Amino acid sequence: MNWTILPVAVPLLTALITIFWGRPGGARRAFVALSAGAQLVLALVMTVWSYQGETFLLVAGNWSAPFGIALVLDLLGTIMVSLSSLVAFVAILYGFNETSPRIAHPLRLPLMQFLVAGINLCFCTGDLFNLFVGFEVMLISSYSLLTLEADDWDIKHAFPYVAINLVGSTFFICAAGLAYSLFGTLNFADIAMRAGELSGDPRMTALALLMLLVFGIKAGLFPLYYWLPNSYPTLPTPLAALYSGMLTKVGVYVLVRMFGTVLPHDLHGIHTLMAWMAGATMIFGVLGAISRNFIRGILSYHILSQIGFMVLAIGFFTPFSFAACIFYVMHHIVVKSSLFLIGGVAGFLNRTDDLDRAGHLWKHAPWLGVMFLFQALSLAGLPPLSGFWGKYAIVMVGLEKGEFALVGVSIVASILTLFSMLKIWNGAFWGGNEKTQVHLQDQRWVRMSWCVAILTGISLVIGLGAELFMQVAIEAAERALDREGYARIVFSYLGKGSEL
Amino acid sequence: MQIETALLIGVMFACATYLILQTSFVKILYGFVILSNAANLLVLTASGNPNGKQAPIVLGEGALMADPLPQALILTAIVIGFGMIAYLVLLLYRMFLDQRTTNAAELYAETEEKTG
Repeated sequence: MNWTILPVAVPLLTALITIFWGRPGGARRAFVALSAGAQLVLALVMTVWSYQGETFLLVAGNWSAPFGIALVLDLLGTIMVSLSSLVAFVAILYGFNETSPRIAHPLRLPLMQFLVAGINLCFCTGDLFNLFVGFEVMLISSYSLLTLEADDWDIKHAFPYVAINLVGSTFFICAAGLAYSLFGTLNFADIAMRAGELSGDPRMTALALLMLLVFGIKAGLFPLYYWLPNSYPTLPTPLAALYSGMLTKVGVYVLVRMFGTVLPHDLHGIHTLMAWMAGATMIFGVLGAISRNFIRGILSYHILSQIGFMVLAIGFFTPFSFAACIFYVMHHIVVKSSLFLIGGVAGFLNRTDDLDRAGHLWKHAPWLGVMFLFQALSLAGLPPLSGFWGKYAIVMVGLEKGEFALVGVSIVASILTLFSMLKIWNGAFWGGNEKTQVHLQDQRWVRMSWCVAILTGISLVIGLGAELFMQVAIEAAERALDREGYARIVFSYLGKGSEL
Repeated sequence: MQIETALLIGVMFACATYLILQTSFVKILYGFVILSNAANLLVLTASGNPNGKQAPIVLGEGALMADPLPQALILTAIVIGFGMIAYLVLLLYRMFLDQRTTNAAELYAETEEKTG
């Protein structure tokens, strides 16, 4: 029994069974919830094992690497799989409490599972072309989910998302083709071994730039982000939480994997470029957030500004900054998804998420307000919440490297983040006028809030137990940056073709 | 052979970019079709110059073979690209049904904010 394939195979099978289940109803929902819970437990067990030193490896068809397609799950991969399973599990539970089985779209659950399978394939794969396939599985599911329950307005905003990602996919194929002609292989470990010979070659720089473009589009880096803030707010709340948590972070993960594990470490110019793009992303993202006046719009722009922090950490390119990036990803996925869910509950209670018409939530739903405060302050980076530790680590690395301008930009972005979070607080929780109504009679919001409470609790645990999570992140970063170690593990499997 | 292919890929990318930047839905659609084919052709050139090489079927020893892997990659990419194009056709058709126009400039002219 090889465990490596399970994070992909289980959601895929769940999706297929759910499609052919027949009538949507309670039994189907219980099955999907059970499967999502099992995926989460599986991912956590695999994370613990890989923290203890195990690396999961599956080489297709008993052909040893680089001939067979390799699936590799190291500590970084298992952490990401755990996060995606967690967010998917909570989003599915939230969706169950929000809509009754009678009116829920029957295809939403299977497509969500296909999406999770695609995301997990991106985290598992040890092969550039397989990564492309994982991206496409993820993207086509995300296109379908984006337009599944859309009205004419939503469809209009889905088109830029589809168009920019189609262009991104095309560039991805081009990058794969160039990588193959340059290295003669697409296996990550094999590329890592052969890339040393091409050190300083301009074609190497061109390939790295192309990859930065492709995964920068997916992550939402400046100036490639404009598709994101208008398309995410059109999604239903649980899907928005899943998208905002995971999809851009797949881009960040691949940037870590590519620049840390696969490509050589001496591409200093591109690392600097990445850091400055990240700085611009932070500022423009947070300014966009301030300009918006509805909850989901503000939160969507914040995804960008936070992506800036993560990519800035990659751009600094030290082992500790990679650890900071991984820690930030862990913190951000949990916090961002829960903020979208809180925004969903707030919109559900006020029947609007326009900040001019919402209000009075603090009076009627104080616990929701407390959860929002925790998560919003964590996003802004106030101690001792989880966001503070991530930002603290990134700023420390920046000061050590003497990048004062970028550190200044990140601190300004944090303060503006706090400002825009206060805007939501004042609009939806504290303020409100006499015309604002809070619809408490519909009891669904209580159960929806409990789903948010799961994520809020985990985010508090990350903040208060930051040392443990930071240790895991440091370990994951060290292994991700150890290119020889990665290659040794992948080539350790001796199957057919190993004598060549 | 490689030079001609490179030129062809360049022309195809230029045409695709031009078409995608047009306002008519049909032109945008054809732009994406050409774009995905241009990328596939680029991957094909990764197998190197095919002149003087045999088809990748192992018959005897010592024969120089064309690299079959890029062709396998393109096969996957074509299938995926086909699915994407099919989806795009439906999306554009739905936009036409909703808005009763096939002009993207008209569709995105007003920039109001979605609220609630």
